[in-house]
Amino acid sequence: MPTERTLHLGLMFWATGTHAAGWRHPEAQADAAYDIALIQEVSAEAERAKLDFVFLGDRLACDPSLQHSNPAQISRLEPYTTATAIAAATTHIGIVVTANPTYSDPYSIARHLASLDLVSEGRAAWNLVTGADAAAALNFSRDAHWDTGKRYEWAEECLQVVRALWDGAAELEGQEPLPIGHRGPFFSVDGPLDVARPPQGHVVLFNAGTSDQARELAARASDIVFAGPQATFADRKAYYADIRARAARYGRADQVKVLPGLTPIVAPTTEEAVALHDRLNDLYVLDPEQEVGELIRKGGIGEGYRRNLSSASQAFGVDVRGHDLAAEVPADTLAQVSEEGARRLAEITRLTRRTANGPQRITYGDLVHATPTQLSHVVVGNPEEVADMIQEWCEDGAADGFNIYPAYVPGSVTAFTELVVPVLQHRGLFRKEYAGRTLREQLGLPVPPSARAESEG
Amino acid sequence: MILGYELPGTGFRDPVRSLVTAAGAAEAGGVDYLVLDDRPAARPAGTGAPWSMVTAALLAAKTTRVGLVTNAAIAYCEPYHLARTVASLDHISHGRSGWQVISEPDPAADANHRREGVDPAVDRDARAAEFIPLVQDLWDTWEDGAFIHDKATGRFIDPARIHTLTSEGQVFKVRGPLNVVRPPQGHPVVFAPAADRQLAPAADVLTVGDPESAATARQAAGSRPVVAVVSPFVAETEAYAHELHARAGAPASDATRGVVVGDELQVAERLAGWIERGLVDGFTLRFPPSVPLETFTDLVLPRLRADERLRNEFAAADTLRGRFGLSRPANRIVERSAAAGTTRG
Repeated sequence: MPTERTLHLGLMFWATGTHAAGWRHPEAQADAAYDIALIQEVSAEAERAKLDFVFLGDRLACDPSLQHSNPAQISRLEPYTTATAIAAATTHIGIVVTANPTYSDPYSIARHLASLDLVSEGRAAWNLVTGADAAAALNFSRDAHWDTGKRYEWAEECLQVVRALWDGAAELEGQEPLPIGHRGPFFSVDGPLDVARPPQGHVVLFNAGTSDQARELAARASDIVFAGPQATFADRKAYYADIRARAARYGRADQVKVLPGLTPIVAPTTEEAVALHDRLNDLYVLDPEQEVGELIRKGGIGEGYRRNLSSASQAFGVDVRGHDLAAEVPADTLAQVSEEGARRLAEITRLTRRTANGPQRITYGDLVHATPTQLSHVVVGNPEEVADMIQEWCEDGAADGFNIYPAYVPGSVTAFTELVVPVLQHRGLFRKEYAGRTLREQLGLPVPPSARAESEG
Repeated sequence: MILGYELPGTGFRDPVRSLVTAAGAAEAGGVDYLVLDDRPAARPAGTGAPWSMVTAALLAAKTTRVGLVTNAAIAYCEPYHLARTVASLDHISHGRSGWQVISEPDPAADANHRREGVDPAVDRDARAAEFIPLVQDLWDTWEDGAFIHDKATGRFIDPARIHTLTSEGQVFKVRGPLNVVRPPQGHPVVFAPAADRQLAPAADVLTVGDPESAATARQAAGSRPVVAVVSPFVAETEAYAHELHARAGAPASDATRGVVVGDELQVAERLAGWIERGLVDGFTLRFPPSVPLETFTDLVLPRLRADERLRNEFAAADTLRGRFGLSRPANRIVERSAAAGTTRG
């Protein structure tokens, strides 16, 4: 954690909510993906709470088989147009678009991002992904999906060209833009850029991932590393320390912020929060019992087990098939679970407050829902409990803030902004006013000099 | 008469505010659609407007009725990206989006987009022949009603009504389905030059240059609307209009655009004459740098709008297709599979 004490908080916008059954909740709008007015309103709500950014993910393929496991990844409005609509309805909040160099070219990316930065007056960010997802290749006339090495080499050169185009672009009307004449292993780009230099100089850069290539890209070039779920607190601290150490090698130790994803299930009281968590889990459509075991959760987001008692039996190492999900699991059954099962039981207790032999007992449903891998860390509790967790992670060197994953939209967004943000502000952990107008200003990052300034320097 | 304004792609001091102001004034004046210029290469006249798709999304938020037609050159984008972006604009604007297909060679833009395995200067004709039908097929990969989102049953979508594409082109191999549900208009309006043999067959609206030579295009268009691209040199006096025209090098009408010169009465009459002779259905106005579009909006537009004979009978329609008198198209994938007698899914 840097000496500057402001946390950074973003809103991960998934129209269905990040809980796979979140869209079925009574306070969710099920068709939010195509309601631009709602998307604008949710963004404006995040802005009223002074959040740093709204984050728009992306996937360049459509797989209808995800409808029960990952409905948000089936379809969505295209990120740039959505981001522009958000920019038109807000004034301060940053807007992150996901763009994949694997299926694009640097000149297009440079002008698209510069355009978004212009219309938002300096609030754009680029989440650079390279597409772990093989299905996209089939939509882009490719014979084969590129391996990680090729994708990152391509992305690194692409980023270099994009920034060179921005650095040579005209900063003032009438100024001649500078051509770049790039000739590299993958790209040949003359330039100059046709649109003006982005108000932020370089659009803020996000990336994610745990591969060595992703960590190096983060260390060398990113402003925000958005981290996926990790099994233990020790893993999270190790990831955070690794990013810092790598960034230090490029003289950027304090310039890269690590923001893990976090799903807060929050309500005024602990009991209500637990009830909400249970309610959401009750809305899941379970996988058929004959489908057992590990499932690659397509969409580039983790893998995990299927959601049924047969899979739970595998995950916990004890046969729990054929039971009513609402029934309590006998303590002697729970005593027989595997080591991995015991870790999952502890997680159930953390989320539901239920135990093997306390006043509230673990149910078969709890085992089923603790079986698939979560998209992000989940915290269930009252506003103080959620704030405690956030504070702890940031003070213990695991995070500089969080990308908030609302379980359902819009209800979970307002629950966080109305219940948790005021607690964080009261504790002096989070801003009450924006530091400026651009995303760079919220993040405390300077505008990089242009090529012209460098040469005159 | 249907009327569109092409908003300049360059020459603005403050492109964002200028574009929003111009769009608002055009909409207030009853202009049916705006064309957003786009060229992925620097131009001599100064910094360009933002990417047409971003500009369109911005204007969708700042206007309520006017159509938003984005120029996009097919040499520099992928059909999957183009299809989803224009479809998204159609959702965001509630059925006001269109796409004008650009396919002329552009060496400066080519030089910005070379990459391993891709040279935009190659395969132009083959790309042009395949691109539009492929985009339209992608828009049809979701049947209407495939997005169910029924909370009670937990059915979010109906997989039986979401389709992949089965045929591959010579240039493009795109499987689908698109990652956007079918646009409100079914197909956003596709504009292409009547004279382009590759593009014209699949377009909804055909564009011509000089209206005087539009008769052949009119015939080939069948029932499809034809609009002429016209540059109006208009001023408060005829003499000043001719002076502006002369200063611009006295361009004449040609295959790319018609040119009209005169005061507001003369320009209005010239445009009206082309409509009344049945040569074209309307105009995309391309303003010369010396003629601000406000001049046309203030001087000519009221005259055109006051003339009952020139009324766009579809002006009340709330989609861009509707304003052109175009119906919402049936889903081609469904039609094809019905024709082949196959079961869906």
